[in-house]
Amino acid sequence: MSAAARIKTIVANLLFAAGLPVLILVAWNALAKKPDEAVGAEKFYPDPVTVGRAFADNWIGPAFAHEVLPSLYRLGIGIVVSIVAGVAAGTVIGLLPWLRELTEPVLEFFRAIPPPALIPIVMLLLGITDTMKIAVIVSGAVWPILLNTIDGVRATDSIMTETADAFRITRWQRLWYLVLPAASPRIMTGVRTGLSVALILMVISEMFASSSGLGYRIVYFQRNFLIAESWSGIVLLGLTGVLLAAIFGFAERRILRWYHGMLEVERG
Amino acid sequence: MAERTTMLRVDHLRKVYESPRGDVEAIGDLSFTMGAGELVCIVGPSGCGKTTLLKCIAGLLRPSDGVVEMDGVRVTGPTPSMALVFQEYGRSLYPWLTVRSNVELPLRHKKLPRARRDRLIDESLEAVGLAHAAKSHPWQLSGGMQQRVAIARAIAYEPEILIMDEPFAAVDAQTRADLEDLVRDLHRSRGVSILFVTHDIDESVYLGERVLVLSKSPTRVEESLKIDLPDDRDQITTRALPRFTELRTHVYGHIQRAKAR
Repeated sequence: MSAAARIKTIVANLLFAAGLPVLILVAWNALAKKPDEAVGAEKFYPDPVTVGRAFADNWIGPAFAHEVLPSLYRLGIGIVVSIVAGVAAGTVIGLLPWLRELTEPVLEFFRAIPPPALIPIVMLLLGITDTMKIAVIVSGAVWPILLNTIDGVRATDSIMTETADAFRITRWQRLWYLVLPAASPRIMTGVRTGLSVALILMVISEMFASSSGLGYRIVYFQRNFLIAESWSGIVLLGLTGVLLAAIFGFAERRILRWYHGMLEVERG
Repeated sequence: MAERTTMLRVDHLRKVYESPRGDVEAIGDLSFTMGAGELVCIVGPSGCGKTTLLKCIAGLLRPSDGVVEMDGVRVTGPTPSMALVFQEYGRSLYPWLTVRSNVELPLRHKKLPRARRDRLIDESLEAVGLAHAAKSHPWQLSGGMQQRVAIARAIAYEPEILIMDEPFAAVDAQTRADLEDLVRDLHRSRGVSILFVTHDIDESVYLGERVLVLSKSPTRVEESLKIDLPDDRDQITTRALPRFTELRTHVYGHIQRAKAR
């Protein structure tokens, strides 16, 4: 493909991807009233320009460091702790059948508890701190990762295991070169679910008890009838989700390159 | 051919699978020996416990009775003097590793100097004709090539004996002929002993210096047949020899009788 043709495809792809968002913005603009024309309930649905202005005023600049970074920090730590704890515990439980039978009913119980219900208790235990918010994030995001890791580790192919036995592969090499890679497609499925749970819990934990962060600001705006500002926070949450998905997609393509390649070959 | 020293000794091996609905005797009473440098084929009716036998020999399964000895030492678990090639190459190679890493993995715990490890990998990939594919992943290769990778992995491990469990059952006929010649070549050029299990009578006669015919389950050795074909074998001329036909007919007859009994 020539350079010109390649640029053409890229532009075409961009236009295609941007098409629907632009359409939605145009429709939103046409349906919503300007602030000075809005009557009654119409005030609750500001037009995109007003929301955009509120976005720039409230989230860009110093507010970014004060309101957005703390949220992202808690989210990041929460996700890392969930992945490390979920994969580590899941691997051990998946490898030991007796431990699996022992823990299964307990895991089912804890998994079934909606994490927001834990917030008041965690608040008592840990106070209104970052640690409390991270604990809430982990209490929800760790489950899909843990359970998927257990299943992935359990499902390690018997012949692959026998191969490792026959060649006397050592325990750590077996973990690193067989068990974890074999479980990695399932682990990544768990991480993907864990990420969206983590984002939800980040917001909820900040809505309950906080003096900074996205969730705190959105509730603050709402209570002070700052409607456009409230909406702009929701837009920012959506963008954060998109960013998370992009980072995940990048990592997944690298880690599971072999897996996607293999599936492609199998499909012919 | 000079008498070779005994390397592998299987003595009164018996394997019973216990289950709540009654025990299943997979191997009845099986004894044979194998000399150093020998190429022995084991052939038997399907479902006669060939894989069970190999797993017992390789130390992957504990026999219910009897012993397996390698160089006079009782085998109680996988030993570094044996390397296995499984029938299911797709599930025996690790798809997340490159061809080279797959061959390297069993060598990692052998504490070899880096240069020696690299040479072993290069030489074994060269020997199976896959030097050019070292950086590929197994799933990018054809079935026959994947089985070559598994063979390279086994010989790089430098075993005294190569144990192959119906390794070519899942590849097409032409690839299979090439792989059979590869096994003969490796045996002659490297002097490695090979225990080759197959259900294909022609294959056992073409490959083996000796063929062990097994009975149906509970398995015993029905006959140990010396294959007195010339050492230089060739897919076309060897298979056309009257002696080849005699031997295969002989083995075939044995298997038929074993099945009927």
